[in-house]
Amino acid sequence: MRLGLTIDLDTCVGCHACATACKEWNASSKVSGALADYDPFGAEPSGVWFNRVRHFEVGEYPDNKTINFPMSCMHCADADCVTVCPTGASYKRADGIVLVDQDKCMGCNLCAWACPYGARELDDASHTMKKCTLCVDRIYDELLPPEDRQPACVLACPTHARMFGDFDDPNSAVSRATAERGGFGLLPELGYDPVNRYLPPRERPSILGLDETRKLLDRGLAALASPAIRR
Amino acid sequence: MKPAFSIIFFTVASGAGLGLLALAALFDLVSTDTLPSQALWRSALLALILIAAGLASSTMHLANPKNAWRSLARVRTSWLSREAASALALFPVAALYLALAAKGNAGSARAIVAFASVLLAWAVLFCTAMIYASLKPIRQWHTWWTPVNYVLLGHWSGALLLATIASADAAAPVGLWILATVLGFAALAAKLAYWVWVGSRGGTTLSHAVGVDAGVRAPGAPASVRARLFDAGHSRATFLTDEFGFVVARRHATSLRAIALGLGFGLPLVYLIWGDGRWQATLAVALCCIVGLLVERWLFFAEARHTVRLYHGDART
Repeated sequence: MRLGLTIDLDTCVGCHACATACKEWNASSKVSGALADYDPFGAEPSGVWFNRVRHFEVGEYPDNKTINFPMSCMHCADADCVTVCPTGASYKRADGIVLVDQDKCMGCNLCAWACPYGARELDDASHTMKKCTLCVDRIYDELLPPEDRQPACVLACPTHARMFGDFDDPNSAVSRATAERGGFGLLPELGYDPVNRYLPPRERPSILGLDETRKLLDRGLAALASPAIRR
Repeated sequence: MKPAFSIIFFTVASGAGLGLLALAALFDLVSTDTLPSQALWRSALLALILIAAGLASSTMHLANPKNAWRSLARVRTSWLSREAASALALFPVAALYLALAAKGNAGSARAIVAFASVLLAWAVLFCTAMIYASLKPIRQWHTWWTPVNYVLLGHWSGALLLATIASADAAAPVGLWILATVLGFAALAAKLAYWVWVGSRGGTTLSHAVGVDAGVRAPGAPASVRARLFDAGHSRATFLTDEFGFVVARRHATSLRAIALGLGFGLPLVYLIWGDGRWQATLAVALCCIVGLLVERWLFFAEARHTVRLYHGDART
């Protein structure tokens, strides 16, 4: 099993609902304990997050695009955060989920240094490393209705830009979406074999292609200008 | 990377201690009577003090030191675990060597313990370096120049301490001065080579990190378009910006490199070649070298640019 997420960069609107839903669910999680907030109502609010959404602009006008980019643990198949951990606190489960045993962590930060994705954050309140649990305490909870046995971020997403599933199953929704949409993992050259897949924006056929629009605009401007020129 | 003083002091102090122990025991092994046993046991004692002080300092870096005893659990994969294990093994062996050297009876037992001390000192030094060199997301560290530097710099500062101790009672042997000078030039060459290597390599780009080459761009836009940060998604400092966001201004880096070169290598080498070899002057030069190496180690951290910085807006690592 290789449990993970797909994140659709075409439909993500960058609303941060996944990040806040994650924070809400995991604040009371028994898996990693509360996620600390520092100075939450003060001038410098900060805290521990498992999921952060960043926003990038790609390309130059008019061929530019805003990319909303949620990032959380990629649950790498070859996770260096686990191999560098000296205490055995970081471990990878048979289903692929990478977790931190809060009772063993000595807070040396080495796993955070080994992670290129910024998936791990030290909690200054518990003095231990925290990270995405893929909501391991939701996805196997048989008291929840089957459709709710998904990570909180997936359930919260208003545009269904996030999907959860097993990448080892070629018929799972995440495997099919990855195959159909050319899903890719981040920074593959590091050799961590990240499981999560990002789906690039679709090459959608526009009602009018960009070139045609430009041609029409040019023609329209010429038509408007021509009487004046002729006169 | 944030330059944490606890780790800077740890790597410099225990590096010098490990180099001192390895060189003293090596001298003892290669030619038993070159250094008097007084110099040998004093060296072993100072080495143990430096290594212990360094390790104590390194635990200050831990957020949760009560679990530090667990750090031996992953010797098979973790260089930090290997470092802890080899350091733990070093202490009784080095202490035994100290006792045998103090008793003064040279024999096969002392030779065996000296040999074990050398191997363990090298192991700890190498493991410390590999903690940094094994981290793929930090390209300035993920190079063989990192262990080469750590091993040579440890032996260089250790050689100056050994020369200080050896010249306390009588003139230190010529071989020791020559060895120290050679180590000094080798360490200087390794440091310069590291800086050249780090400066000449291009890192990963933000555009690649967000997958522009994998199709994350406007329809029809070429794969060569660039990405830039629009908004980091947080308004205040986070763990990630605190830990990885440290930047050292280029002009400061240049002047700090000059200070590290002058204090860490220049002055000590000038002294080794033209100095008078009195122990007081040698001690001053050894301390000067260690101050220079503290600056060098600060730069080793401050100039390292973690890959996660791309997602916070750096164009390349």
